[in-house]
Parts: sequence; structure tokens; C-alpha cells
Amino acid sequence: METKTAVEICPTTTQGRVKAGALLVDVRERDEVAQLAYDVPNIVNIPLSEFENRFHELPKDQELVMVCRGGGRSLKATYYLMNMGYDNVANMQHGIIRWVQRGFPTKGDSSSVLVKNDNAGCCGTSAPAAKSSSCCDAPNSDGSPCC
Amino acid sequence: MKHIKILGTGCPKCKQMEAIVKQVVAQLGIEATVEKVEDIQKIMEYNVLTTPVLVIDEQIKVKGRVPMPEEVKSLLQ
Repeated sequence: METKTAVEICPTTTQGRVKAGALLVDVRERDEVAQLAYDVPNIVNIPLSEFENRFHELPKDQELVMVCRGGGRSLKATYYLMNMGYDNVANMQHGIIRWVQRGFPTKGDSSSVLVKNDNAGCCGTSAPAAKSSSCCDAPNSDGSPCC
Repeated sequence: MKHIKILGTGCPKCKQMEAIVKQVVAQLGIEATVEKVEDIQKIMEYNVLTTPVLVIDEQIKVKGRVPMPEEVKSLLQ
């Protein structure tokens, strides 16, 4: 199976995509979402542990932006959906950690992601440690400017 | 000659699987190549969401857990 490179966008770009009608898909586990959730109007939670059984709930005719804690799990889910025939899907890099650092809206206790940035689980749960530098340091993977 | 791949992004469980597989290959004295695949894009060519994954001759044998050495032995024999 030949896999194309996933489109990856930063939290700021994600904000714009959501306002334009994209659906945010949070693949963190339920306990993580209960602690701290993205506060946007269009969002669904399908934990990665349930993803293979539930991905078909996601629309194919709407732009999807995959999110998690650090950007690792959501990248896997992005590729999974691409392999399953979804062609309007992007991954949000750096997850809720960077989202919180940017001051974007959340519900719950954000201290857990601001205080520590350890690996919350196995295998790609977290992307590399979030830096305090601007998300505009690099363009999005699709070549569009970040912010 | 067996072609073994361990798919994982570098987490402790993936390293455990790699160590167990290499140990079993040495114990059995079989001819095998053991390749660690850490690139997420290459991992997702197998369309797996949970790692580590043990691939033997391009067949997924174990997914999302660390197998016991005995299980790896039986898969390789």
C-alpha cells in the first residue's frame, strides 16, 4: 500500500479551517477529553482505541482535522483515514499542548498540558516536545502559510 | 530466510518487541533479517493504529502489544 504524505497544519490554521466548516476529530481517550477538551463548535471524539470500529461515523464530504494531545496519534488516524478513502483530511501538529499555548479555547483543566509534556502513552502518543516558538516558524505541509 | 519488521515509533514497548525478536532469532539460529520501521508514513502503509506491530514476511502477526518470547518462537518456526 503506497501512502501519500499527510497534510499537516498548525493550530492557528486549524482555527481558520474550523471557522470555515471543518470538523475537528479528537482521537484522545475519554478520560483525557474529560480532563481537558477543545472548545470548538464542530468536534467529535473518537478515541484511537475505538477508531477502527468507528471511523465510518465520519463524513467524507466535510473537511476533517485530526487532533490529539501532541500530534502523534492524530497523525496515525490521518493516515488511516487516507488509506480508507478519505481525501479531505489533515492533521493538526502539536495537539492540544500547542493549542493551549496559543491561548485557543478549551474546556477543563489546562494545567496538565502546560506544566508537563511527558509521553502520556505508548507509541506516538506525543509529538516532540512543544517549543515556545511561534507556529509560524514553518509553513504547513501543504505549502500554505501557517498563520 | 525470514523477513521480520517491527513497526513502532520508538516507544518502550516497541524496543521491548525488538529485543525479544532479536533474542528469539538468535536462540533459534534461523536466517532472518530484522528491520525496525519508525517512520510513521511507512508504518501506515500497513494501516495499523496500534503499535508495536510484528510483521513476518509481510504478514501482520502481532499488533498493539509485546508478545512473549514463546509466541515469537512459534511464529518463526
